[in-house]
Amino acid sequence: MNFDFTETEHAFADEVRRFLRANPPETFAVDGMDAGYGSGANSRAFMRALGAQGWISMCWPNAFGGRDQAMFMKLVLMEELALAGAPFGPLAGVWQTADAIIEFGTERLRHEVLPAVARGEASFWQGYSEPDAGSDLLALKTEARRDGDHYVIRGHKIWSSHAGIASHGLVFARTSREARRSRGFSMFVVANGTPGMDIRPIRSLTGEVYHHEVFLDDVRVPADLMLGPPGEGFQALLNGLDADRFWGRFYKAPSLTRVLRQLVDYANTTKVGGAPLARDPLVRRRLAAIAAEIAALRLIFYRTGCMIRDGAPLSYETAMAKVYADETGQKLARLGMDLLGVFGTLREGSRWAKLGGQISHLYLTTLGHTIAGGTAEVLRTTVAVRGLGLPAEPKTAESKAR
Amino acid sequence: MDFRASPAQQILVTTARAFLRQHCPPEVAQRLALDERGFDEALWRRMAELGWPGLLIPGELGGSDGSLLDVILLVEEMGRVGLPGPFIASAVVATSLALAAGSPAQQKRLLPELAAGTRLATIALVEETGSFDVDAVALECTVPGQLSGRKLFVKDAHIADDLIVAVRIGGAVGLVVLPADRPGIARLPLDPISGEKLFEVTFDRVEVRADDLLGAVGAGEALLASALRAGALARTAEMVGGAQRVFELVIEHAKTRVQGGRPIGGYQAIQHACADLVRDVDAARGLLYSAAWAASEGRPVDADVALAKAYAGEACLAVARRGHQILGAISYCEEHPLHLLHKRIQAASLDFGDAQLHLETVARAIGLEGRP
Repeated sequence: MNFDFTETEHAFADEVRRFLRANPPETFAVDGMDAGYGSGANSRAFMRALGAQGWISMCWPNAFGGRDQAMFMKLVLMEELALAGAPFGPLAGVWQTADAIIEFGTERLRHEVLPAVARGEASFWQGYSEPDAGSDLLALKTEARRDGDHYVIRGHKIWSSHAGIASHGLVFARTSREARRSRGFSMFVVANGTPGMDIRPIRSLTGEVYHHEVFLDDVRVPADLMLGPPGEGFQALLNGLDADRFWGRFYKAPSLTRVLRQLVDYANTTKVGGAPLARDPLVRRRLAAIAAEIAALRLIFYRTGCMIRDGAPLSYETAMAKVYADETGQKLARLGMDLLGVFGTLREGSRWAKLGGQISHLYLTTLGHTIAGGTAEVLRTTVAVRGLGLPAEPKTAESKAR
Repeated sequence: MDFRASPAQQILVTTARAFLRQHCPPEVAQRLALDERGFDEALWRRMAELGWPGLLIPGELGGSDGSLLDVILLVEEMGRVGLPGPFIASAVVATSLALAAGSPAQQKRLLPELAAGTRLATIALVEETGSFDVDAVALECTVPGQLSGRKLFVKDAHIADDLIVAVRIGGAVGLVVLPADRPGIARLPLDPISGEKLFEVTFDRVEVRADDLLGAVGAGEALLASALRAGALARTAEMVGGAQRVFELVIEHAKTRVQGGRPIGGYQAIQHACADLVRDVDAARGLLYSAAWAASEGRPVDADVALAKAYAGEACLAVARRGHQILGAISYCEEHPLHLLHKRIQAASLDFGDAQLHLETVARAIGLEGRP
């Protein structure tokens, strides 16, 4: 066993910290809201700065313009960025899409998309969910019809995060009717602005725009923008979802650590009834207990990271880790609201807002985390059935018929 | 980073698991819990033949040169079967103290026999406050001189050859190691639900000699704190092992118990509860290994141990309680193994510091100012 980083990893963490000191995260323009996951706001300028450092493509093979670095360097980078509250929102999604393109992308995708990703200029919205296909993704209705060397996509996607500021959509659509329900789906990488694509913002409960719905009205895309083998998109997506749960939540623990530090500072400097909040035994105990939980969460993710690095088979790990991350985040947000009292309800920018109004923001945004990317309920079922080998609930006659 | 045990550690774990499954099945653990003496000499001798009591002790003193991390992996297996007995008190805590503080003469007298399992030692720390905080030690003693007073919750005092007693010597915390049969020492059994053998030990004008002192008087606090950390880690390992076993019992039951035409594990209410069990066990184990590794590397681990113990106490007890709920009425029976595992976890969660004590350590480590 070893619970420390290697010398190379430590040196890289130092390098990232130096970069963040020289380029304070708060000086970068923000394009899309911080959804509370831990990767901060969506800042195209910050992504370009990461690209200029060579950090977006550092783990790609040399042949694709990367430097063949070990996968763990990405964890080191994300941990440091999250601890600093940097606005690297799209990074995890960008990495996953790039990895998929490197693995089974067409020449066209490799040449057109990867360089832009490496420069920090490309990011992707996920076109998976539909109004009637949420947890039951396979109920989706969007269809891509072959027409010569093109596909024509028609459908309606929803809950696509930051679609309005991304460069491309990852559109999941049915490409053929097959007997098995999980076959016949394909994934397309569609540039924003392609004729027939209409991206409309959905205002969220924070008052800002995070999600979008996207109407695809006979959007023509060249066939070589399909990502992965035709009709096998669902298996690719499932593998992707496993990765999504890991990469899309890895930074939660360091980011919660950052919030916890702020709450500790708040407790030390805020007097209630004449005494610092930090002297209240209940406050001490609650903050210490969540610190233990965040430490445990961090290790759960590093353990899973080691398994991914070592090629060990995953069963329940990412599903469990995601649920744990999301529920711990909700718990910390609740604790923050309790500590701040009435001040906790104030928005960023309000008179008398404490800690920059971020606790009320965290409280609201974290509500979505146990829903997005697999609900806590679906994922607990995944842990139990796929991980622990418990029998799946029997299908109803209605679901069998589909 | 690497979360995997080394090949040698994997052999230790595999051997221990097979040995304990054979020699400490649930009915043995239960019999020993109900038995007044509750100590299986033959089993202890077999464990000694495997070198377990000497795991922390260097080879030249008759030990097997292991690390604290090795011990933790072994204790996790012991926790899995609810193995009763003096291993943690004697082979971990008292042995750590003798190693860290013993004079050459004391080490030569104690350690080879502790390693061989022919000598047992225990620690007498807690007083009437029930606190494991080093600051709470109040029992006055003069060295050389006399000791009068009492200690509570002394584990396995009835079979211990030596008692390491935490005392106040002129205001400072110190340690004395006394033969358990020295005149004036009496052992009065307590009756805990866990079936562990706990005692009130009374000292009535017990003679304390100069060479009974273990370590320098000024160093007592640090020595004790370090041994308590080892004890806390070992108890955490016991909890994690116990919770792992509860988890396995639950999953087996959920797969085989049929109600309403299908295994109960086919119902989401049960599935979701099981998903939380695996989280609780994995999370507690991660903190445990990380703290034990850091301790074995000689790194400062005050906060890591505190995190691990506080977290495991909460998480493993939750596993045990949920285990009862899922296993249903059968787990209410004395012959079912769950209740004993549960009671052991509960005992372990309090021994060497409860959540309150450890979370206070964590509170200071995360920067909260001013102890209340």
